[in-house]
Amino acid sequence: MANKKVIETKNLSKVFKNGDIEVHALTSINMVIEVGEFVAIMGASGSGKSTLLNILGCLDKPSEGDYYLDGVHVNKLNKNELAAIRNQKIGFIFQSYNLLSRTTALENVELPLVYNRTGKFLNPAAHAKMALEKVGLGNRIYHKTNELSGGEQQRVAIARALVNDPAIILSDEATGNLDSKASIEVADLFVKLNDQGKTIMMITHEPEIAQFAKRMIYLRDGRILTDEPIKNRSTKESALLELGLTVS
Amino acid sequence: MRQLFKTFKVAFQAINKNRSRSLLTVLGIIIGVAAVIMTISAGEGANKEVQDQISGLGTNLVMIFTKMEHRGGSHVRMGRPIDKRDFDILQKNAVWISKMSPLVNVGVQAAGPNGYKPTIVYGVNHEYFDILSRELALGDFFKEDDVKTANKVCVIGETTRKELFADLDPIGRQIRIDKIPFTVVGLLKEVGQGAMGQDQDDVILAPYTTIQDRLYGHRRGYDMIMASALDENSVANAKIEVSELLRESHQIRPFEKDDFDVMTQVELQEITGNITGILTTLLGAIASISLIVGGIGIMNIMLVSVTERTREIGTRLAIGARESDILTQFLIEAVVLSLAGGILGTVLGIIGNQVIYKLTNFYIPTAPYSIMIGFGFAALVGIAFGYFPARKAAKLNPIDALRYE
Repeated sequence: MANKKVIETKNLSKVFKNGDIEVHALTSINMVIEVGEFVAIMGASGSGKSTLLNILGCLDKPSEGDYYLDGVHVNKLNKNELAAIRNQKIGFIFQSYNLLSRTTALENVELPLVYNRTGKFLNPAAHAKMALEKVGLGNRIYHKTNELSGGEQQRVAIARALVNDPAIILSDEATGNLDSKASIEVADLFVKLNDQGKTIMMITHEPEIAQFAKRMIYLRDGRILTDEPIKNRSTKESALLELGLTVS
Repeated sequence: MRQLFKTFKVAFQAINKNRSRSLLTVLGIIIGVAAVIMTISAGEGANKEVQDQISGLGTNLVMIFTKMEHRGGSHVRMGRPIDKRDFDILQKNAVWISKMSPLVNVGVQAAGPNGYKPTIVYGVNHEYFDILSRELALGDFFKEDDVKTANKVCVIGETTRKELFADLDPIGRQIRIDKIPFTVVGLLKEVGQGAMGQDQDDVILAPYTTIQDRLYGHRRGYDMIMASALDENSVANAKIEVSELLRESHQIRPFEKDDFDVMTQVELQEITGNITGILTTLLGAIASISLIVGGIGIMNIMLVSVTERTREIGTRLAIGARESDILTQFLIEAVVLSLAGGILGTVLGIIGNQVIYKLTNFYIPTAPYSIMIGFGFAALVGIAFGYFPARKAAKLNPIDALRYE
């Protein structure tokens, strides 16, 4: 039996019009991501990574082509339905964490559940605590955002992306603001979550981080240049060794 | 409903996180609401005071005076003045009237043993004291005989006594009114300020006959006739009766208008009530301007807040908030701020009224409807001025908002 498709795009294109100038940000992207995959998307600046992520994240609509997320034909949804699908099927992780300032880790993680209208999460605090424990911050629940280190803040953000039990986690340069060691820890966390069955797609321009994934898609000028499995996957140990650091 | 409750929580969290800024924002509303409450209450207080004064005149009071009209900036008398003939006709024929007194007044210079002062002499008869229920502190009123013989006697008020006699006992002593000597026979009990702010104790009362003979010059008739109806219930009848008698006396034809005015105490209350009502409205309107300014303050801060929290809004939208969620959140923030301002302003207004009472002895009962106006206006301001920033927040494009630096 074939694995369930989480993401499927058919001839996905995106054209930005700025006056008379047309910019083809994405051109006929066809990709399928199945449950349990861990995909890294790489590419130079302007290769269309962010545009792709915005469309896959249901923040933007494609100019052409179809997009199915977890079996839902996203093209047909209205604004409120898009908000609901973002809330229930996607976990976002951003480069600059985007946590609420002066707010506790717990409240930050609860945030997606505030907007969940399905009534599935009757005890948001309990779900948020579980998510924070999963990312190893069980002892930091009541710390405010400004009392946490960059790595810890990003892990709060990951917990926030996990709390609604999404179909896919979308990470946009999650390690961009972190030092090498914290970056490796975040990447290692992704691996662990993936091992637990989470489908993850991460955008990065750091090859060493991409090396943690199972599959790499390389974009150039809005097209898929290569799409192949990664052979020598990094682990936390191998990456730290490369940096000349030992496992603490 | 559940969602609204959650949004309320989010809004309260946001306000709580920016406590000092929220308080400063609210300051404008606090002052505005307090100002509205205090000015309206002050107006109401003044109104009540005036009404009480007029009630104090006696509910039976009927005043009859010559109709005056403004013509080119000066008062012009219309038609015949009220005079002795009118007075006699009324006295003889009016069955609903129990007591009557003519009233003539002259501005004079009064001099006593210890000083002098410009004042007003009222020429009245002996029934005047009963009609206005004035009481004596010392001595006696002048009598019917004094009026008949135009005796040079007078009753003075407390303010006049102070100026003319200082510490001396005034009874039996003489004062000069425009150089004519009058003997003081009585001192009125102090009553304080009158309905229109005049000093009711700054007064000299003398027989109107004496005043007309000695001080009135060439003026004809009376300024006014003060009368008492039989009782409270006959005031309306008395008014109709007086009008009919005077129309007859003045030979006014059926299609012509009265050349005199008859006013009862109730009507006087209505008129002054209208005047103070206008005053209260005006004061309240001025105070409302400060509320609007306060509202603009809220809008200003909310706009800044929206800009400052663009990333937060982007995040909320990205993780599944609807536009309506964001709109409600910011609207609630604005309304909660202005309502908090409304509550604090109400408290401040009530305290302010108390402070004014302590300082000036001017009792201001806090009018309940002033609280409602102040509060309602604050809520309205919150919604009206909160809506624009809230809409701006809700309409943000999440992609741009997430990248906003």
